[in-house]
This record gives sequence, structure tokens and C-alpha cells, in this order.
Amino acid sequence: MSASPTIRRSSALSSVDPPSAQNFDTLYRDHVDLIYRFAHRLCGEPEAAKDLVQETFLNAYRGFDRFRGDARISTWLYTIASRACLRMRRKRKGAPERELSLEEFIPTSDGEFRLQIPIDGLSPEAALQNKQLREALDTAIGQLPKKYKMVLVLRDMEELSAKEVGAIMGLNERAVKSRLHRARLFVRRHLSARGLGEAPSGHNSLG
Amino acid sequence: MKKRNVPSQERHASVTRHQHAHEKNRCLRILRQLSAYIDDELSSSICQEIRRHLGDCPNCEIFVASLRQTVSLCRYRSIPTLSATDRALMREKILSTI
Repeated sequence: MSASPTIRRSSALSSVDPPSAQNFDTLYRDHVDLIYRFAHRLCGEPEAAKDLVQETFLNAYRGFDRFRGDARISTWLYTIASRACLRMRRKRKGAPERELSLEEFIPTSDGEFRLQIPIDGLSPEAALQNKQLREALDTAIGQLPKKYKMVLVLRDMEELSAKEVGAIMGLNERAVKSRLHRARLFVRRHLSARGLGEAPSGHNSLG
Repeated sequence: MKKRNVPSQERHASVTRHQHAHEKNRCLRILRQLSAYIDDELSSSICQEIRRHLGDCPNCEIFVASLRQTVSLCRYRSIPTLSATDRALMREKILSTI
């Protein structure tokens, strides 16, 4: 018996079982909260998140025989949810995805180097008591192009490794890290003076 | 990201422009690697170079601090949990679709 904390299919569901209401229930019960949290972070609001959870478990049920027991069940579900999210959003919007370039994150005025709402000396939990900061953070994440948002959510919120995120999104680790960096810079800029719409100080710090 | 005052004397202008461009390039090079830096993924020699630059460039140092803060805010941003009723309702909807 492996001591690994990895949840494999065999631990929850037998690999020879056909999909049934019973093993669906096991899958659902053990992972619905995880997938809801992920979906809420991606969608930013409860109703869209619930739609995404339902779509994810439906697709998981239908694709059950394609699940390879060598991946964690949670990784498999994250993959299904990510794909479902891309499809759902594409249907709703249809706008092409914007690429983020590093150049756009270079500060051009003094106020852009620091966060507009200072949180020095505060724990993140205490800082997030500030409604304005919370809303600015949610807006920033909500405005991220989705392929960047997914990487940020999986890496910095779900706290998966770059390798796991790569497996979920079909990217190499280098691409994951590059997207993560741009996503963080995007959110950071949004929380700075420029992002919060404050008047810049007028100094041009980089040239 | 280093802020410098442009000297008024014309004869210093080209030297200053050169220095400024050099520093700007260094800031940009640092900016590209900041996530890897705060995630502790860089070699010790590159980390040392970055630390040296941060000590010398207040704006870059402030920038790194704000990036770290941004990441920790993302990490601790909590979301509402699912109610037992919602959990049961969704399960029924899924099972009725299957």
C-alpha cells in the first residue's frame, strides 16, 4: 500500500467499474467542494460557477472510461473543468484572447511602483478586510484574459505546481511560468495607482 | 525603473542618456525574472545580482514588494463555500441529465 497522499482512482473507485450512480456519488462527494472553489475563482460569481461544476461532473461521468489511473483524480477534474470553462466562455463572448506583453507592465509614473492601498505590516487576511482592496483584486482577476487567469488561479490560489498546471493546460513548465508572471503583473498593476485610476504623479521614471 | 534627474548642462546629456538607458535595461531584465525570483526558482548567482540591484534601485525594490503582496492577496482571497442544499441540488441536476 502506497503511503503517497496522491488520490488515485483505485482508492476511491475501482478501475473495472462502469460509471454508475454509486461511484459517481463517491467522485462527486469527494471533489465537489474543490471544483466549486476552482470554478468560483475562474467565474467570479456563484451561478456561473455552479454551471461550470455541473458541466465538469457531467463530462467526468461521460469520460470516465478515459480516465487514466496514473493521474490524480483532482488533476483530471481540474483538466475537465478548465476545458469546460474555455468552451463556456467562448460561447458567451467570442472575443479573441489578448496576449499580455511584459512591456505594458513597466511603470511610467511614481505611483505605479507600489500598491495604491498600502498593506505593509498587515497579514493578507487583515488586508483583505478592506472592501475596496477586495473589489479591486476581484476586478483585476476578472479582467485577466482567461488563459492567464487559469494559470494564476491554479498556481497562486489552488497552489498546484507549475508541472501540474502544465499537465492540466497542455503547456510546458516554461510557458506556465511565463503566463503566471504576466498574470501577476497584470493584477499588480491593477492594484497600483494606474490600475485604480488615480492621477499619476507626472514623473516619468523610466525615460 | 531608476529615477534620475536629467542634468541641465548640455554636455552631460549624452553621457546621462547612455547611463539611463543602461539602468533602464537592467531594470527591465530584473522585471522579467521577478516571479521566478519570488518563487525561489533562480540560481544563487542571479538572485545575488537581483538583490544587489534591488539594494541600489528603490523603485525596483518597491515593485518587488508590491508583487509579493499581490501574490499573497491572491493566495488568501477566500471564496464562499457551497451550501449543503446547493450541493444536493446540483447532484440531482447532474444525475437527471446523465
